[in-house]
Amino acid sequence: MKIDYKIQDKIDFAILVPAFLLAISGLIAVYSSTINHPTANGNFDRQFIFLLLSVAAVIIIYFLPILTFRWITIVFYVISIFFLVLVLIMGKTVYGAKSWLSFGLIGFQPSELAKLGTILLLAIWLSNRKQDINNIFDLGVSLSIGILPVFLILLEPDMGTAIVFIAIIISMLFWAGINLFALFVVISPGVMIFMSLFGWLGLAGGLLLVITSLLFFRRNIFTSLTVFVVNLSSAFFFEFIFRLLKPHQQQRIDSFLNPDLDPLGNGYNALQAKVAVGSGGLIGKGFMQGNQTQLRFIPEQWTDFIFCVIGEEFGFIGSLIIIVLYILLLYRLLKLAHTVKDKFSGLIISGMIGLFFSHFAINIGMNIGIAPVIGLPLPFISYGGSSLLINMALIGLALNIYRNRKQYV
Amino acid sequence: MESSIFRYRIALWVIGIYGLLVIYQLFNLQIVNNTSFEEKSQENSIKKNVLSPPRGILFDRNFQVLVANKPSYTVRVTPADYDTSNNKILDKRLGEKPGFMKKILRQNRRFSSYIPVKIKRDADLPLIAWYEEHWEELKGIDYIVELQRDYSYGVKGSHIFGFIREISASQLRKMKEQYDMGDFLGASGIEKTYEDYLRGKKGYQFTLVDSRQKTVGRYLEGNADIEPGKGFDLVLSIDAGAQKKAEEMLEGKNGAVVAIDPSTGEVLVLVSKPDYDLSRLSTVISSDIWAEFMNDPQKPLFNRATMSIYPPGSTFKMVSAITALEEKIITPDFSVNCGGGYFYGNRFFKCTHVHGHVDLEQSIEKSCNTFYYQLILKIGLERWSDYASRFGFGRKTDLDITEENAGILPTEKYYKRIYGNADFPSGVLLSLGIGQGEISATPVQLAQYCALLANKGKSKKPHIVKGLIHSEDLTYIPLEFEDIDVHVSDETFDIVRNAMLKVVQGAGTATHLRMPELLIAGKTGTAQNPHGKDHAIFIGFAPFDNPKIAVAVMVENSGFGSTYAAPIAKEVITQYLKPSPPSQNLISSAGKPIDED
Repeated sequence: MKIDYKIQDKIDFAILVPAFLLAISGLIAVYSSTINHPTANGNFDRQFIFLLLSVAAVIIIYFLPILTFRWITIVFYVISIFFLVLVLIMGKTVYGAKSWLSFGLIGFQPSELAKLGTILLLAIWLSNRKQDINNIFDLGVSLSIGILPVFLILLEPDMGTAIVFIAIIISMLFWAGINLFALFVVISPGVMIFMSLFGWLGLAGGLLLVITSLLFFRRNIFTSLTVFVVNLSSAFFFEFIFRLLKPHQQQRIDSFLNPDLDPLGNGYNALQAKVAVGSGGLIGKGFMQGNQTQLRFIPEQWTDFIFCVIGEEFGFIGSLIIIVLYILLLYRLLKLAHTVKDKFSGLIISGMIGLFFSHFAINIGMNIGIAPVIGLPLPFISYGGSSLLINMALIGLALNIYRNRKQYV
Repeated sequence: MESSIFRYRIALWVIGIYGLLVIYQLFNLQIVNNTSFEEKSQENSIKKNVLSPPRGILFDRNFQVLVANKPSYTVRVTPADYDTSNNKILDKRLGEKPGFMKKILRQNRRFSSYIPVKIKRDADLPLIAWYEEHWEELKGIDYIVELQRDYSYGVKGSHIFGFIREISASQLRKMKEQYDMGDFLGASGIEKTYEDYLRGKKGYQFTLVDSRQKTVGRYLEGNADIEPGKGFDLVLSIDAGAQKKAEEMLEGKNGAVVAIDPSTGEVLVLVSKPDYDLSRLSTVISSDIWAEFMNDPQKPLFNRATMSIYPPGSTFKMVSAITALEEKIITPDFSVNCGGGYFYGNRFFKCTHVHGHVDLEQSIEKSCNTFYYQLILKIGLERWSDYASRFGFGRKTDLDITEENAGILPTEKYYKRIYGNADFPSGVLLSLGIGQGEISATPVQLAQYCALLANKGKSKKPHIVKGLIHSEDLTYIPLEFEDIDVHVSDETFDIVRNAMLKVVQGAGTATHLRMPELLIAGKTGTAQNPHGKDHAIFIGFAPFDNPKIAVAVMVENSGFGSTYAAPIAKEVITQYLKPSPPSQNLISSAGKPIDED
């Protein structure tokens, strides 16, 4: 089977196939949740057209010379930042955030473009041989590249996308070889806060995690103790941070913790999503047969709550297939990042993993009640043209890197 | 430093552990607790139903109802429960072509068959009675009561009230918060301007439904429901009697009548003809009806009272007179000799008659053009347009009807645009002197001008809505309006107003309006029309000493203002000033009396 070997040497089907299967599942779920809807019934057609465009994007990007991405990086980043500023000035407000730019009929979210721009520029900077990730100045430059879009996105304000950017930055710094202890010191208070939301049990679990990690790092007793105290106090400090959040964000956290408190208001979506997924059972109610979906208990289900359409209509088996496809995709990307010779390419893939994983973790999490409701779409599946196009473009980029994985650029 | 395989493994663990957590939770929800969620989804689903509020009612200045709401029946079909063997009989009963039901069902096949589809709005009583007799055989058919605008109170007011339309898809995208599919909203006139007040607040009913959307009960016994809030009622300054009179007088003609209370700026009458029947547009209409309105060469939707612009003709002479007196260019005794016209340059500018010796008062009374040809040459363009602008020409009156034209007030800048840097021909100026040429105004602007003449330069911005009635406590909330002051002395006004009185009471151009019991003052005008017969114009006010009404009348393609426009003004004025008989429906829509302060 000589020919087969050749094709597999050029294309990683374990990246390409899961991505397309996910996009097709998305089309099915969008169809089911919108075709009976009075105003959204054109969404399937639009999503289908964007999938076709995405195929074209994957093919074009796949065949581009790998050097192209180095050349366009700066331009790309500058354009992204320009659009992020522009959207603050003249953007359209959707769901309380100014994140949409519209040019006549076409509207798009500049933050989608900025994801690509930030990943590329960070990858260039971090792969530069002269810089040292553990040098405070060089790290500062890396952080500035990443924090600028985060800052602009927080002004919109779009909390969810800002979290995704932070995930991208952390994942790329991690891959670039940042001192793990330093990374731990920065990230652990955030994890502690999240754990503390679940009461004393969560707090205890979080502290246990911190202590285990401290034992693992084997720093001196003074440093370890300081980190421990910082973590402990940050959990208690949360009350203070909580007050800084916008009221609708506070309510979302509250309703995540206890959706039954307010079944008609903020907890409504979370509760109805759980009911939809839970009532799906082993094999689901069947395509177009989910009563939660078809009777539109969840508003705008085709965007952030699309996973519960699959959960309800295709059950545990359908959901499991989706999860396995994501894990397979992430695993293959990770393997690619590990095997690729060129550092720049490896960093791009690591940023991609941060992006896909954070979307996946938060979105699926809020659909099944293990994460708060943060407005983030499910990559490849949720309705949304610019998001599908950018995600597919990233897949095209990953395949391009795979094709060139044995050479240094 | 660790090896990169170490970082690879950490990342793998993070992804793997979260994946397992998700699968564990899915197993938990879908397999372990499936039964309880299944029950919740089957029996305990809360559905939000929208309850539409009644739209606010429109009253006239004496609290007589102008526009209200009436219940209408809407017949619906729920495809899942419907038996198609009833198609034929329903086609017939609904008054539709054979195959109508089949078509409706086919069109809605893509939608859930449990959602009712509206098949007939505004169904008549015989149809409902027939349904009530046969409902057992007509499974899947039902009807609901919806509120519709009721225009049967005697005043047409098409261009004042405006029509309401079903919300379009693009409007819905922009205003998702306030509106749902199938909602109506104001598309023109008062209905559009005051949409936010008239609309009311939606109510919600929370019902428990099963998986087939069958209602199985009320959520919390209806305690969580939110009652719809009725829209604010509007009190218009329109006088129903005078408005009706003006509509009758102008029937069959093309033109407009606008009347204003000079001291308050309240619009008493606003008629544009041809008009249209609001009830034909303010419902779900077919594209045929819409096309019929759009393609009508008479343009019934076009509001001539606020949108069409004409040269004001001789009614504009008072502007020149006031400018000349106020700027001390002439004294009241200034006079010219009219030999039937005026030679200027190489041209002869005609007058209507040979007037002989004419002073300022006579120039208005007899409408002598020769006087004004000479006067405008003394005044000059800039001063003339300054005074004209004080009377509101060349800009919108900001009436609370959004469709309005600003008219044209020529200035030096305006002519520079046309003639470039070369001097504009002075002949142009002569035409302006008698209100012809480029100068053009809307009937509303003329009415405002007349109101300012009547009340010696002081009034308020013209408006149609006086106040609102709060939908909850039924209190009357009066609206405030900006003052207008043209800053012209009373002496000047006295001279000009006396001349206007002479037009009717002396030997002027409208002596046929003379009445023993009522002193009307006014001015006739004729707008030159290069495309056909001239337009007749009349502005006038009454009573002379304490003006209560100022009116502007414009009749297209009829001829002299005196002959065609003035008699209409007389009828409207007398109708308005007639002591009104006690009103019959002096009761608000809610059935509670209104306290008027």
